[in-house]
Amino acid sequence: MSKIEAKAEVTGSVWKILAVVGSRLEAGDTIMILESMKMEIPVMAEDGGTLLALSVAEGEAVREGQVVAVLED
Amino acid sequence: MMNSLPTHPSEALAAGADAASLPELSFRRAQAEQLGGAASVARHHEQGRLTIRERISGLVDEGSFQEVGKLTGQGHYDGDKLVGVTPAPYVMGLASIGNRPVSIGGEDFTVRGGTSWSGDRKKGGQGGFVEDLAHQYRLPLVNLIDGAGGSVTSINRRGHSVFPGVHGFERSVQLMGEVPVVCAVLGTAAGGPAGRAILSHWSVMVKNTSQVFAAGPPVVERSLGQKVTKEELGGPGIAVDMAGTIDNVATDEKHCFELIRRYLSYMPQNVWELPPVVQSGDRVDRCEDALARIVPESRRKPYDMKKLVRMVADQDSVFEIQPSFGKAVITCLARMNGKVVGVIANNPMIYGGAIDVRAARKQTHFVELCDCFHIPLIFFVDVPGFMVGKDAEAAATLREGMRSVYVGLQATVPIYTVVIRKCYGMAGMGTTDKNGLDLKIAWPSAEWGSLPIEGGVAAAFRKDIANAADPKSREREIEAELRALASPYRTAEAFGVEEIIDPRETRPYLCRFIDAAQGRLQTTLGQKPKFGVRP
Repeated sequence: MSKIEAKAEVTGSVWKILAVVGSRLEAGDTIMILESMKMEIPVMAEDGGTLLALSVAEGEAVREGQVVAVLED
Repeated sequence: MMNSLPTHPSEALAAGADAASLPELSFRRAQAEQLGGAASVARHHEQGRLTIRERISGLVDEGSFQEVGKLTGQGHYDGDKLVGVTPAPYVMGLASIGNRPVSIGGEDFTVRGGTSWSGDRKKGGQGGFVEDLAHQYRLPLVNLIDGAGGSVTSINRRGHSVFPGVHGFERSVQLMGEVPVVCAVLGTAAGGPAGRAILSHWSVMVKNTSQVFAAGPPVVERSLGQKVTKEELGGPGIAVDMAGTIDNVATDEKHCFELIRRYLSYMPQNVWELPPVVQSGDRVDRCEDALARIVPESRRKPYDMKKLVRMVADQDSVFEIQPSFGKAVITCLARMNGKVVGVIANNPMIYGGAIDVRAARKQTHFVELCDCFHIPLIFFVDVPGFMVGKDAEAAATLREGMRSVYVGLQATVPIYTVVIRKCYGMAGMGTTDKNGLDLKIAWPSAEWGSLPIEGGVAAAFRKDIANAADPKSREREIEAELRALASPYRTAEAFGVEEIIDPRETRPYLCRFIDAAQGRLQTTLGQKPKFGVRP
């Protein structure tokens, strides 16, 4: 069991959180959608795993490279 | 035949006719094959690293290495009798990669950590024989870097300190306009070897076993009081992903050699020749239906630009340069109907494709690379402009962005502009072929202007909006009016864009023009002088 951090690739704000903590995600599933440069930028699971925690809430500002969720495979 | 030579002096003297007829030559060759000795080689292997001889044979076409300077080193004598030779810490020569000759060399870390060695003539490094061979014979140069450069101990040996780079770096610079230069960082590179890694058209380093920096942790601690590991200071996480100092990362040395062979397969031998054309086996008229659906209806939603590029280019021909740096643009070498092209595509997933300082730097280098080697460029455009915001301004996005535009507008290689969605402002202008045909084709989803409508309305119609009974609704009304006029078909009526195409037609359309441009490419070969001052 290893932990995988999902990071924001852009600075912006959290627009919508789609995934539920505890749920199983496949690679490519969208965890949340950020808003940046007037675009909806998805944060996707790079590998499959269980969503352990979200470290941001809707409306919150995020920085490029910030860890926004943690998965465990 | 090198490999069949005996590896121990006593074996050398006992072995076969060659050894019998030329025992000293056989002995000296055998000494060279031993590198820094069994113990040193074992330590090197324990660190997960190959020796320079293993690297060269792992990279080049089998049996193609013709070494030059095998006998160089420090002879050890007992009176007049030769008892051994410590080889010079650099192995180099002529080899072939993909059946084409290259000049190749690298430091031997097992001999004094690959530090510099002084003979009558330099074997490698800046101004060494390996660079002269590349220059004189117009061959690609492959540098396998594994050395920390100069050492202050040389002051003791020489009795004086050496003025930096007395002769040599001018050759390294000259090569950048003549032949492809590829550098692989295969250990810890600092100083001169680190500098040389940057003086290349493409560079690669290996995960976990290589680092690159101007100076290593001891110097950093002494100068700044910072305690850092060499991985933190110059591992791929910094050097590739954050700084873009090195272009690509390999998972191990074997993978590194595959990447080098792949990169060179797109390159000509020099600027006086065109890159090799291959039989693509992919139909020119292949029209992917998925292209018609790839751009979402909502202008706020991004899409997978890399997938788009793969659908247009020859199958399996896309090789991405700097995939982890400046991700707002995607730069790839690829083929269209077997001919090499450079692809620059904006990535809507990263800041909506806005050009930030990193993306601008990446684009500048890639345009120069393709222009230098007569590789036509295709821009897949979806750019809202330069990146905005305080961080972007502080990072000099405007200057770096204009530099990329400037370099693009100086390029004389054919450039094809394919507008997928947004094409705005100076960043948009920088995607066009101002010194050539200026062929701009667009998808029906395209839109363009000096700036995106939603960003410009509030400023341009401030009074109108402020005086309205419902300012928000007036703003949306003006946006809708302008958007109706912004249809790409209206620009096509005015021949302001040369064609609007069905997205599925992108591949055949581009292949047709790239095939037709071959005559122009063949008749405009050679070096490209650059005038003026980059902003």
